[in-house]
Amino acid sequence: MVPSTRLASIQLNNATISFEDRFTLSELDWTIEPDQHWVITGANGSGKSALAAALAGIGKLEAGTVEGLPERVGLVSFEAQAELIATELKKDDADIMDVVSLGTPVREMIFEYCRDGELANDLVEKFGITKLLDRAFRKLSTGETRKVMLIRALANQPDLLILDEPFDGLDVDTLAMLQAHLAAIVDHVPMVLVLNRFDEMPDFITHVAYLDKDRPDPVKGSKKPREGGRLAFTVDRQDEAAFNELYQLLHLKTTDLRVPEADPASRLPALDPSQPLVKLTQATIRYGDTLIVDRLDWTIERGQHWQLSGPNGSGKTCVLSLITGDHPQCYTNDIFVFGFQRGNGESIWQIKQFIGYVSTALQWEYRVSTSCRNVIISGFFDSIGVYTKSTDHQKKIADQWLALLGMQARADQPFNKLSYGDQRLLLIARAMVKHPPLLILDEPCLGLDDMNRQLVLALIEKICEGNETTVLYVNHHTEDRIKEIDNHLTLDKNH
Amino acid sequence: MANYFNTLALREQLEQLAKCRFMYSSEFDDGVEALKGKKMVVIGCGAQGLNQGLNLRDSGLDVSYALRPDAIAQKRQSWKNATENGFTVGTYEELIPTADVVLNLTPDKQHTAVVNAVMPLMKEGACLSYSHGFNIVEEGMKVRDDLTVIMVAPKCPGSEVRAEYVRGFGVPTLIAVHEANDPKGEGLALAKAYAVGTGGHKAGVLMSSFIAEVKSDLMGEQTILCGMLQTGSILCFDKMIEEGIEPGYASKLIQYGWENITEALKYGGVTNMLDRLSNPAKIKAFDLAEELKDIMRPLYNKHQDDIMSGHFSRTMMDDWANDDANLLKWRAETAETNFEKTPAGEVEISEQEYFDNGILMVAMVKAGVELAFETMTAAGIIAESAYYESLHETPLIANTIARKKLYEMNATISDTAEYGCYLYNHACVPLLADFMKDIKSDVIGKGLNVDDNGVDNARLIEVNDALRAHPVEAVGAVLRGHMADMKKIV
Repeated sequence: MVPSTRLASIQLNNATISFEDRFTLSELDWTIEPDQHWVITGANGSGKSALAAALAGIGKLEAGTVEGLPERVGLVSFEAQAELIATELKKDDADIMDVVSLGTPVREMIFEYCRDGELANDLVEKFGITKLLDRAFRKLSTGETRKVMLIRALANQPDLLILDEPFDGLDVDTLAMLQAHLAAIVDHVPMVLVLNRFDEMPDFITHVAYLDKDRPDPVKGSKKPREGGRLAFTVDRQDEAAFNELYQLLHLKTTDLRVPEADPASRLPALDPSQPLVKLTQATIRYGDTLIVDRLDWTIERGQHWQLSGPNGSGKTCVLSLITGDHPQCYTNDIFVFGFQRGNGESIWQIKQFIGYVSTALQWEYRVSTSCRNVIISGFFDSIGVYTKSTDHQKKIADQWLALLGMQARADQPFNKLSYGDQRLLLIARAMVKHPPLLILDEPCLGLDDMNRQLVLALIEKICEGNETTVLYVNHHTEDRIKEIDNHLTLDKNH
Repeated sequence: MANYFNTLALREQLEQLAKCRFMYSSEFDDGVEALKGKKMVVIGCGAQGLNQGLNLRDSGLDVSYALRPDAIAQKRQSWKNATENGFTVGTYEELIPTADVVLNLTPDKQHTAVVNAVMPLMKEGACLSYSHGFNIVEEGMKVRDDLTVIMVAPKCPGSEVRAEYVRGFGVPTLIAVHEANDPKGEGLALAKAYAVGTGGHKAGVLMSSFIAEVKSDLMGEQTILCGMLQTGSILCFDKMIEEGIEPGYASKLIQYGWENITEALKYGGVTNMLDRLSNPAKIKAFDLAEELKDIMRPLYNKHQDDIMSGHFSRTMMDDWANDDANLLKWRAETAETNFEKTPAGEVEISEQEYFDNGILMVAMVKAGVELAFETMTAAGIIAESAYYESLHETPLIANTIARKKLYEMNATISDTAEYGCYLYNHACVPLLADFMKDIKSDVIGKGLNVDDNGVDNARLIEVNDALRAHPVEAVGAVLRGHMADMKKIV
């Protein structure tokens, strides 16, 4: 075995690193201790591979400091793989020399590079590429090149091993072999793995870094928008609660996120497509002498996603409750919702059936001891708790939602024992479960940590993309923008 | 006015007392149809009046509020409640003549005056609705022959009537039709639609009679529900202090103890409540309860007899006429009791500890529930009514004590309940004086001091059999089954 070479810690302090003006990782604060093994993960396009490459010294440091990068880094990634193949292709000078170039054989690629020939030999056998040793490197398939890259990195006695999606495209046996090998060397080499699928995370990983997309300012003089990423948060595996949340988030982000179907048996009455969903005319709310909302006109057409904002106390929630029918003064206003002119003998349940609703207040009010599954099912009945017999099909849909949230194992656990963030996620699923014509999200991310916020925003984007549901989104955090929403109403304080 | 109940023949009295049945969900299939487009005018905008009105309006019904001119002119709380919630408010003269249904949701004490004021204004063939039958049964109010008289009584405080509706549920509700005033035979349809409008049909509706409601309600509230819990609180607290238990602990054990132990009662009757105790503690509680029942039986009989004869309501009405002198004096005395004045301590008490250290409280609840049930059924009240007005409501009252001790309980309950509680407490405290002398902290405050939980097999079987054989358990099992079906928390 290779003697252990202990490193100092790697430290990124407020580092901004750019990659050929195409991509920028901004304001990175990150420390990797020598005894830690990290997984880098995050949203698509958030710069996971870029961050991994930065540890191999790739990219231009624009600001801040990067210290303690080791000399010998074993890097396996698609980019490095592509680069190596491109180098090999350049060597193909057959046209100039008029000889048939065979390119560098695999044997040479491995044994002239690796410092630990014995290990390389062993790995060649284990990866099952002995037969390929005399073949030209550039003639190999993608999977075969990947194996060569892995052997080169592992057998070169690296001070740091960076493996970017190392498990992609490996067959089951090779995968198991590689994982076993990595597990065997963890005490000697710190590792950083880029993984998109959380389920593939080896047991020896101690920490997770989660990247999020960022939109850096364009370069001066250039109009071209730049792509970027930032380190959103890191999680220590010892912290079970945070780790569990991360699991859910990644589960949602990395599975093919499909919103479960509506229940065909509980179909809503058809709405007249020529009428708006909601029309408030000169809506006014007052308490005694205090005017909260002053003569507001607002029409929400089908498919028109809205964002409602305004300072605290500007009456955002009041306006929403006029629509949902929860505000007693909805009977003294001119309100048209879902084909009903309010105050003409309709019941609030006839109104609520068209609405999915989430707010902090709802979460406070949702104080019934019921299971997680039932919380989702209650969305079919617009109730807090379940008081109506539900069908097997409705239960199945609820289970699909739980699976989507990565909470299927907790289906029968009591809702009130869950964390705040998990409760919020379930309430959002409850609001969406019947595919309501109008989905009202009143500060859905309020009180959520970064991970859960990501999760909720991903869900909302998904809902907006469909054409069944019109979204009414209330928030005042600009970073929680939803790209599909392009109608804005801002309320001012009247009092 | 003569006591209506006393004008009936025994045969008719028994027939009315025997009315009580749990209604099927399918009986509410017509929803609020019978009230659609009708004008409902509520009198009284307190907790019941306002919250029932909010529910009815949200169910698509036309609701407005009739208030007295001075309540409107002075913008009193009732006026504010109604207007801030966007209701039409007017005087009796303005609104009552337009009403198809008048909902009398004022306190019992005001009923005679209110009904006398509105009756001449009501249009021919309209409906007058009560939430308590006292005015009709005990005060003998004669309502105009052309008017339909019904009762719709949600069995919870007004705030809960609203909260449960908003959740998509409701509260258990009792409905009745005053048969002497059902000229068009539409009383039941109106009462059912009203119960649907408040959400009651989702939680379960009992079809009863004015008489059964009044006679069982009065009995339950003044004995086991309020009387026993009030008396038990004071006696148990004073005993614990005498036994050297830390006052904060004693106060907490009682304030939250009733709620915790009666939660077990709610789920599985008296049997389940006693099953929560260890075997030796169960036998102890059983023996204490038997003793308590022997001592208190004459008192329960007297309460029931006075209710049946009309003596109770006459005495209470005398006190009403005397500006509630007796009641107010007693209310002030309650506020001065040591239990009321000692705040609950910060100490942690587990749910099980409330049982283990509150054996006497368990015994008191058992004795009170069984005695009230036995006395009511012996007086001709049907078992279903007796169950609801004894066992079923005990946890509801216990909740009010958990919130703010006896003050909250007496503030929440009706004026008839508070007066009855006053009578009971006055009689029961001296009645139990000798019994309490022998009580030690092993049954209240500390738990049994035993080396092991061994008991005699034969005695345990005897006790378990006796618990399970009590008639309140049989009817309870059936009714709790209905309620669970209704709730169906899948």
